[in-house]
Amino acid sequence: MSLDLLIYAVGAFASLMSVVAVYLALVERDLVKAVIYSAIQSVFYSLLFYLFMSPDIVLVYLPVAGGVLPALLLVLISKTERFERE
Amino acid sequence: MKRVVSLAVLVTIVLGMSLLLALSGQSFYPSENLRWLAIVYLNTTYNPYLPDFTVWSPEAVTAIVWDYRGLDTLYETTVFYLAIISGLALGRGVKRLNQKPTDESGLSPIVKTVTKITGPMILAVAASIGLHGHLTPGGGFQGGATAAVVPVVFIVVFSSFYLLWKGVSSQRMLTLRSAGLIGIGLTSIALFLAGLLLGLPSYVFQNIAKAGSPLSMPYDVHGALLSGTLWWFNLFEFLAVSSGFTLAFIILMTPEAEEKW
Repeated sequence: MSLDLLIYAVGAFASLMSVVAVYLALVERDLVKAVIYSAIQSVFYSLLFYLFMSPDIVLVYLPVAGGVLPALLLVLISKTERFERE
Repeated sequence: MKRVVSLAVLVTIVLGMSLLLALSGQSFYPSENLRWLAIVYLNTTYNPYLPDFTVWSPEAVTAIVWDYRGLDTLYETTVFYLAIISGLALGRGVKRLNQKPTDESGLSPIVKTVTKITGPMILAVAASIGLHGHLTPGGGFQGGATAAVVPVVFIVVFSSFYLLWKGVSSQRMLTLRSAGLIGIGLTSIALFLAGLLLGLPSYVFQNIAKAGSPLSMPYDVHGALLSGTLWWFNLFEFLAVSSGFTLAFIILMTPEAEEKW
C-alpha cells in the first residue's frame, strides 16, 4: 500500500513539474531555453510512463523527445531566429 | 498581462483535469478484471501448450506490435519512410560543403574524449534494446531511435564534417535504410514464399504455424529464443530507423555551399 502511495506521489509530483516546465517553455522568449524546458517536460513524462508500467513507451519517448526532437528544433532555430518577437 | 492569462489558462486546465479525474473515479474506474482480448494476448504470447496460437515471445508488447498487429506497424514504418523521403526532397539539389575537420573545430578535447567513450556505449545499449526486443521491453524503433542519438552528439561535439570524413555519408545511410526496408518486406513475405515453393498453404505476415498452415519461422536456436519473425523485424527496423534519423540529421546539419545567383 505504501509503495502504491509512493508511486502515486512521485507521479503527481512529476505531472505537476511537467506543467511548470510547459508554462516556462510557453512564456520563454529565448527559443533555445524554451526547447530545453520542453525537453525537461519530456523527461518528467517519461518518468510518468515508467511509473505507470509502460517501459516500451519510455524507451521510445526518452531518445525521441529527449534527444532527437530538441536537436531537430535547435537546428531549426539556428537556421532562423533565436528570439521570439512581439 | 499575457503571462497572467496563460498562467490562468494552464492552472484552469490542470484543475479541471484533476476535478474530472477525481469525479470520474467515483462513477467510472478501470476494473481490475482484464478484458477478454487482453486475456487472449497474455495467455498466448508465450505458451508452449498452445503451439497453434503462441508467438514464443515473453514480451507481449512486441508480440502485439509485430505479430498480432503486424500490418499496423508495417504502415507506421511506411509513414516514417515517407517523412524521411519528404525531408530529403526539401534538401534536393543543394550543394553541401565538405571540408576536412580540424582539431580546432568542435568543442573542447575533454568533451571529445568523453564522447569517444560514451558513443560506443550508447550504440551497445541501443543494440541491446533493439535485438532483445522480443525478450525485454524495447524493440526495433526504440533501439533505432537510441542509436540515432550518437550521430547527433558526434555532429554537435566534433563537427558536421566529422561523420562524412569517417565514412558516414548520406548515400551510405540511404543504402542502409533501403536495406532495412527491403529486409522488413522480405521478412513479412518469407513464409508466404516458402509456402509457394513447398506447395503448402501459408499467409503473408505469418510467424508461427497456425491450424491449416504448418509452416513456421524458427523460433529458437539452440535454446535461445528468436520468436520467429519478431527478431528479424526488430533487426531490420533497427537498421531502417537509426539510418533514417542519421540521414535526416546529416542533411539538416551539413552547411550549404554558397550559391552564386
